[in-house]
Order: sequence, then C-alpha cells, then structure tokens
Amino acid sequence: MKQTGRPVSPHVSIYAFPIAAISSITNRVTGIMLAFGAAGLGSIEIVAGPGSALSLMQTIGSQGFFIAAPAKFAVSFPLVYHYAGACRHFAWDYFPDYLTNPDTEKSSYALMGGAATVSGIMMFL
Amino acid sequence: MNVVMNATLRKKEVPPAFLSLAARSLSGGASSSEASLKSGAADSLKKKKNEKIKYFKVYRWDPEQQQRPYLSTYPVDLNDCGPMILDALIKIKNEQDPTLTFRRSCREGICGSCAMNINGVNTLACLSYIEDEDAKKATKIYPLPHMYVVKDLVPDMGNFYEQYRSIEPWLQPAEEKKEGQAEFLQSRQDRAKLDGMYECILCACCSTACPSYWWNADKYLGPAVLMQAYRWIEDSRDGKTKQRLAELDDAFKLYRCHTIMNCTKVCPKHLNPGKAIAQIKKKLAH
Repeated sequence: MKQTGRPVSPHVSIYAFPIAAISSITNRVTGIMLAFGAAGLGSIEIVAGPGSALSLMQTIGSQGFFIAAPAKFAVSFPLVYHYAGACRHFAWDYFPDYLTNPDTEKSSYALMGGAATVSGIMMFL
Repeated sequence: MNVVMNATLRKKEVPPAFLSLAARSLSGGASSSEASLKSGAADSLKKKKNEKIKYFKVYRWDPEQQQRPYLSTYPVDLNDCGPMILDALIKIKNEQDPTLTFRRSCREGICGSCAMNINGVNTLACLSYIEDEDAKKATKIYPLPHMYVVKDLVPDMGNFYEQYRSIEPWLQPAEEKKEGQAEFLQSRQDRAKLDGMYECILCACCSTACPSYWWNADKYLGPAVLMQAYRWIEDSRDGKTKQRLAELDDAFKLYRCHTIMNCTKVCPKHLNPGKAIAQIKKKLAH
C-alpha cells in the first residue's frame, strides 16, 4: 500500500463467512489449542517430574462436577473436533466429488454438532 | 474508517424527482405547500405517494483526495428502479452522484465486470436482486475483498490477470498439425471433462473470497486461475500435461488451498473451483 498509495479493500471486517469457512478456521484454532495443550503437558512433566501432569489432571477432575465437567469439555472438544475435521479433510482428498455446496454445508454442521455432542457426553465420564 | 453521510447534505436540496411528485400530489389542496417541501418533505411524501425507499451504503475512495475510504449512503426509490443491484448503482450515478465509479458492461452476468461484495458476499451486481422485503435494512456494497482499490468500487485486477497469464492458458499440442489437418479432434467424453470449467468468466469473485488468497495473493494463484490450470491439464488435445502439473508443484502456487470452499459458495456461474483444485492435488499425489 505504501508504494501504490492505494488502500486495500476491506475483507474480514465485511465478509459474510459461510458455515464451511467457520468450520475450517475452527479446525485451525483447535489445532493451535491442542499444540499449546501438548506443550503445556510436556513442560509440566519436565518441570514437576514424571507423573505430575497426570496427578494434576486427576486433581482437577475430582474438584466436583462444576469444575471437572467444563475442564473435560475444554480438553475433549478441541481433540474431537480437530480429529473429526482431519477425517473430513482425508475424505475430501480421496473423494473430491464430496466437494459440493450442499455437502460441505451439511458436513460443517455435522462436524460442529457432532464434536459438541461427543464432548458433551465426555463431560460426564 | 470515516463515515460521511452524503445524504445529509442532500436533505436541503430535495431531488427533482421528489419535487415533481410533491407538485402533483399537492396540486388539488391548499395545504402548507412550499414550506413543507423544503423541510424533510421526503417523510411526509413517503406516506402520501407509494414510495419504497431503500438505503445503499457504498464504499467510496477518491485517489485525488488525501482522505481515507468512507461509506456513502444513498436512498433509492425501488418503485422507480430495476430489480438488480446494478440498476440501483446506475440510478444513483445518474440521479444523485455522478462521481460514483464502478465497472459494468453486459448487464447479464457474462462479462464479469461488475463483480463486487454485496451484503458480505461476492457476486455480480447485475445478477444480484435488491432485497426489497426488508426495506429498513441498508444494502452494503464494497469492492472485491483484499484488493488494491483504484477508485470507489474498482479494484486493481493486474495481479489476477498476471497469474492467469502465468499458467499459459492456451492449447499446446504434443505435435504440430499434419498436412491438411483442420482441428485437433476430441471425443465427446473427453470434451465433457471440460464442462464446468470452460465457462469461467474470470470475474474473480472466487479468488477474492478466499482467505488464503487474501493473505498470499502474491504467491498463491487462487481458485479462478487454478481451475483454469486444471482446464488445460484435463484437455485431451493438450500435450503439456506433465509440465503444467509440475509448474504447480511448489509450496505456494497450489498448496495454500486449505479447502475453505468459499470459492465454490460464491461463484456466480455456479462452477466448482474447490473441487477442481482437489482434483489437481490428487493428480499430483500420484
């Protein structure tokens, strides 16, 4: 923009993102969350000795339902969503015929609903 | 972004259309004529005459002025306007603001000139109906997203055309024509492979809808150009298939596509660039 002096037309601020695009960015975000989670688990293990990550999780899990359940959801949702999202990518890579507007819309809703449901069930386990 | 309401300047000068309507409706009675005409008469007229006002908020930027881009709001009487967004834009340019600048040509959805972002979605203005059920909601019109703006709704398409040129979009047969040969022949099945790709009008709605293209327009080719690359890869008469595929095999040209599928959602000709790109990736994987 500095060279041409021209502005760049607005994009994220004005675009009406369809559900497929939302499901795609959610896949990326959950991936980042998982990366930080894995790094966090690893660093706890390194800093506080072997088995400390497991005992930390067990401590959180035994704090009563209203602390344990959201914690379980926060851990399982990124995992389930990202895994299912990857399966969808795998399907798209091998069966490109699924890449149509109605199919991608349906799969996006199914992915979000399915991951939320499975994580919801995991809250009670 | 500064929001300048050009419409507020116009309340003092009532457009000629309103004045003539007012004259006709008040000709019979001796009502508070002239005074009401000059002060917000548009509201009272709306109830008297059958007027359906819709507001259009349009992105404006003037390269000659040292100002930041802004939104101009224009009222349009839908009862006196064609059904498409392009009709409204032309009406605004003719009657209200001649400086409003946009590209247009065929007005029938085949040239691709009027591609722009309407209510958050990339489409052709000539094929996009004005939503007149909810007249209270203003229609927002922006240029194609993440493009350098030449003026108002006109984006700089130079990079897009350069990328198209870079895939060599012409037939490169394996052999020269034989003596007396007219066409390079092709079976019906082979010709059918090109259906859904040759119809592309290069309007750039898809490429400018792709977030990956927003962030990497310099190196990622974008769905429009990639689908045309595939069109030539799939053409049975073409002899450079291997080279065409090899050209795309780097980290950016093809593989910035993450199957976000904004492209297929938005194509005004109902084509499927997302699927074409997936098919290129599949071909490269073998």
